[in-house]
Amino acid sequence: MLAIEGLTRRFGDVVALDDLGFEVPRGQLHGFVGPNGAGKTTTMRIVLGVLGPDSGSVTWDGRPVTPGSRTGFGYMPEERGLYPKMRVGDQLAYMAELHGLERGPAREAAYDWIERLGLSDRADTRVEELSLGNQQRVQLGAALVHGPDLLVLDEPFSGLDPGGVDVLAEVLAERARDGAAVVFSSHQLELVERLCDAVSIINDGRLVASGEVAQLRARRGGTRLEVEVEGAPDSWWEAVPGVGDWTTDGDTVVLTLEPGADDQQVLAAAAAAGRVRRFGYTRPALAEIFREAVAA
Amino acid sequence: MSFNRSFLLVARREITQRVRERSFLVSGAVTLLIVVAVAILPALLGGDGPETYKVGVAGPEQRAVAAAADAAGGDLDARIEPRRVRDRAQAERLVRDGDLDAALLEGRVVISDEQLPDTLDSALQVGQRQVSTGATLRRQGLSESATRQVLDPPPLRTETLSGEEDEDQKRFIALATGVLLYMQLLTYGLWVATGVVEEKSSRVVEILLSTLSPRALMAGKIVGLGLLGMGQLLLVVAVGVGLALATGSLDANVDDVGPALLVLLWFPLGYALYASMYAAAAALVSRQEDLQSATTPLTIVIVASFFVSFSALEDPGGTLAQVASLVPFSAPLVMPGRMALGDAAPVEVAVAVLLIVATTILLVRVGARVYAGAILRTGKPVKLLEALRTSE
Repeated sequence: MLAIEGLTRRFGDVVALDDLGFEVPRGQLHGFVGPNGAGKTTTMRIVLGVLGPDSGSVTWDGRPVTPGSRTGFGYMPEERGLYPKMRVGDQLAYMAELHGLERGPAREAAYDWIERLGLSDRADTRVEELSLGNQQRVQLGAALVHGPDLLVLDEPFSGLDPGGVDVLAEVLAERARDGAAVVFSSHQLELVERLCDAVSIINDGRLVASGEVAQLRARRGGTRLEVEVEGAPDSWWEAVPGVGDWTTDGDTVVLTLEPGADDQQVLAAAAAAGRVRRFGYTRPALAEIFREAVAA
Repeated sequence: MSFNRSFLLVARREITQRVRERSFLVSGAVTLLIVVAVAILPALLGGDGPETYKVGVAGPEQRAVAAAADAAGGDLDARIEPRRVRDRAQAERLVRDGDLDAALLEGRVVISDEQLPDTLDSALQVGQRQVSTGATLRRQGLSESATRQVLDPPPLRTETLSGEEDEDQKRFIALATGVLLYMQLLTYGLWVATGVVEEKSSRVVEILLSTLSPRALMAGKIVGLGLLGMGQLLLVVAVGVGLALATGSLDANVDDVGPALLVLLWFPLGYALYASMYAAAAALVSRQEDLQSATTPLTIVIVASFFVSFSALEDPGGTLAQVASLVPFSAPLVMPGRMALGDAAPVEVAVAVLLIVATTILLVRVGARVYAGAILRTGKPVKLLEALRTSE
């Protein structure tokens, strides 16, 4: 399990991370979301040891992360980076060796991944001669070639075509099934919602929400009612105690209930106003949870 | 990952990648061609190698003259190959057709198509004098061994007041070492710099630094390229000295060939010093476009030292040469020349080596700190002091 605790980091007067902490167990696909500049990349760089924290700790399976344990990590930085003049096969084999594989197994692993990523006819091509999409595949190979237990990927989906998104999603899910902890950042919240078992939301360097998507939803999901009443006046809910903000769309209204409000009173008011076609709590999208968490 | 293992991996990559690049192969081939040319040119131009002349001989007496001329011709770089001719008519025909360079005939006559080359003329005259003097002495009853002694007295021994016997050859070697070291330091220093910036501008450095330390990356790069430079120098020196000896451009004499091997001592010393500074300077910038302004000060120091090494050849004992051969930044280019000219006292060499080693140790530490502090900072060039502060 990856455990991040009390991470704080300043750049000059700017506080990039402020007492940040969350956990990613093995086998979990963890989404890491937040607005630009929230501190996602800084967090990832600290986990990978590329940057040092001012205070706080990062542990892996209960032990502080060392350069030795980092050879079992796979990293895809936000700024993609490969040796432009190196051939694809050499490049991946070199990355595997840097992560502790011996020379022979490193070459084997490199060629396995080249085949899996559909680059077999490009193994001897220099990276700079590849299309951007193929470069991205090699980049993914560089993060995965040594079979890491922890994958840390900064915006891995950006710049991928839909086919590439599917391939990557499948690879990540497979790594998690095999017992690796996988954490990735993304702005594509529907994708995060679809793929991830859990998410952490950060804003201004602070963690604002973390946990399984269903839990986050449950924590605030009960507060919105969607009600459709045929032929009722637009203001039937105004007299019900505990109803706050609302938005309407035709006969449908979404009501925000204040804590302690009685949903049965709302139902009674609706039935009195007209024919109730629909009555139920909405399942907020991650995007909605995100917006509220960041605004709070 | 341990320092040693990652350092070795980085060094290996530097070597294997570089030798596969066309630019490396081309520049290596050009250097080798220049060295080959320099090594065999003196022999080609120089009259340093002996010239062989075919000379017709009409009878036993003429054959003896030719043999004596050949023996005497060694000092004149003229060898003589005798060919039997039947009579004057045949000799004239062969000389006119160019099959013979000259022919010795009865009655103390030598014929040639055009005027005889000076060296051949001298050799034949000496041969003639020896044969006829020898015949006269024998007729006077002198013994064979006494006759030979008279004909071939020990030559004059030459001595120069400065004690130097072959200043030209020493000067040539001193110049060649200087040029070779200059090219090698500049080329490999710049390769270190462009390699550092390549990793920074392609951002691959961020992945690398997630498993290895900045110091291992910097050290691996410098040592890998340094070994490559050393290997190239070994090849160049072996080919150059080998060819020069084979063609007679150099005399096979330890005193004279030894200085050519000085490059192999001074390249590692100079390279370690400059490469660590080139690596640190390059780490400050993120783009190849900014690299030149970051490395110009270093390049200027190397070029200036090269010019000082020229003037040191003219006046190896002068104050400028003495000081420049001790200062660590110019020593790698100036000291080998002074050593080749036999002008540097052993204690001076020892002091120069100590100074450069001490300076290198210091600069490697500072350079590594600058490198570590700046290597992940992208965008605008990083200020030197800022980089030092960041890595504290």
